[in-house]
Amino acid sequence: MGKAARREARERLKQQRLKEQQKAKRNRVLLVVGAAVVVVALVVAVGYFVLMRDRGGGEVELPPQALQTDGSVVLAEDGASAPVLEIYADYQCPACKQFETATGSAIQEMAAKGEVIVHYRPVSIFALRGEPLGSNSLRGGAAARAAADAGKFVEYNDVLFENQPAEGDPGFSPDELKQWGEDVGIDDPAFAERVDAESEVADRFAQDYAPELLEKAQGELGADSINTMPVTDLIAWGDENGVDSSFLDDTYVLEILESTGAVNQRYDGENAFAGTPSVYLNGAKMGNEMYSASSLRSAVAEAEPGEPQSTPAEDAEDGGDGEGAGGDAGASPSTSPSADAKE
Amino acid sequence: MNTGPTEQNTASGRPDGEAAAATGPEDAAAPPWKARWAAAQPWVTLVCRVALAGILGFAAYTKLPPALSIQSVEAYQLFPAGVAEFIGITLPLLEFALALLLLLGLATRYVAAATGLLMLAFIAGIASAWARGLNIDCGCFGTGGAVAPGETAYGVDIARDIGFVVLAGIVMLWPRSPLSLDRLAGLYR
Repeated sequence: MGKAARREARERLKQQRLKEQQKAKRNRVLLVVGAAVVVVALVVAVGYFVLMRDRGGGEVELPPQALQTDGSVVLAEDGASAPVLEIYADYQCPACKQFETATGSAIQEMAAKGEVIVHYRPVSIFALRGEPLGSNSLRGGAAARAAADAGKFVEYNDVLFENQPAEGDPGFSPDELKQWGEDVGIDDPAFAERVDAESEVADRFAQDYAPELLEKAQGELGADSINTMPVTDLIAWGDENGVDSSFLDDTYVLEILESTGAVNQRYDGENAFAGTPSVYLNGAKMGNEMYSASSLRSAVAEAEPGEPQSTPAEDAEDGGDGEGAGGDAGASPSTSPSADAKE
Repeated sequence: MNTGPTEQNTASGRPDGEAAAATGPEDAAAPPWKARWAAAQPWVTLVCRVALAGILGFAAYTKLPPALSIQSVEAYQLFPAGVAEFIGITLPLLEFALALLLLLGLATRYVAAATGLLMLAFIAGIASAWARGLNIDCGCFGTGGAVAPGETAYGVDIARDIGFVVLAGIVMLWPRSPLSLDRLAGLYR
């Protein structure tokens, strides 16, 4: 009896000790898991704050923006001596939107301080991709060019990227494009007219012209040479082979396509243009560091002053009426203003 | 950190005693391969831990700046824009945090489990992109986004991620390893 009781007591003690050990172990696990959760929360929270600060940037008072004869736009303080940052972007390209979101306001801020000369060069790499990708891209690009006539290119550029349609979705409808024009303060009725006219051209290009051209070229040139051919060369080939492109004459759609063809000729070797967004600092192509506002800032800070490789539309006109392109486009019917961009 | 007293208490013999009592007789009777595994296991786990930490750390580093990472997430077309942006920014940070914890050996078993789950989520994402016929780079390391048809590598990506799940599984099942903070806290000794 006494023996049994002692054994029972020993057993109970053992059980209790085991339970205590288990409890202690559970506490240790809770401790390390708790510490790990705190580490994760700290790293993510601090990292998020740091990364968002890099992406942020407030509204800035924009420096003057000057339309160039090739339809591009230079944003710079008057007489700024600074490196030239060339931005080639397609309004339908998601990576371009990411670039714009991450660095757009930092770039504008640098331009406002006279630290950089920004050269916006819209292109359309999606032009031949049919509906809706190709037509969205061309409608957006042509509308931005029309906004440049009103002196509001940079503002409009930002709005287009903000409202970029998802890849493969229809978007950039003429009504939206006109509304956004009003939103950024374009009140010239010529803008709305131009947007409507250009949108029709863009849709015709994407729906009828491009498929016909591609089908014909596919048979005679082969898919490989089509893919490597600048779009303007392909259009010229079409004209010689019975695919008439005259509906593009004097349109901003054609101007966007010409800009796209021109960049292929402008750069080669390691600087060769290969898709958007492409950003060149004084003619040297930037790598992935361009997606971070802080590394972009330091790259610009280290670069030498440069000159934009284009001619301001105002200089080319001789007339030189104060506001330049703005007043000119307003007074003209929808086909004439781009004529000066051809030379 | 305020783990000082706990370390002292827990490091003072009890777990050791427990371990010795539990493994002592077993070791004597165990077949040689079992003894060899018992000796090698902590080092195997250490190698897996450090390898996983390196992989996660590298994955996090190559995803930055977040503009690239957001693009990779958007390419999967699984989330609305705002959610994709949030994931694109926080995912590299989460990967970095897990890498740090694996390297430190803190809450090893649970961090390994979380890493394994993350890899399974990646596998599910890649498989869904594959099934939907998207042409994207998985964005696992560095730039994702669209690629030309025929340039996708979903099979290789999934196989590689399965390998990472195996690494995480080893660490999760055998969390005992040298050079870990868990040991200071008296765990997995």
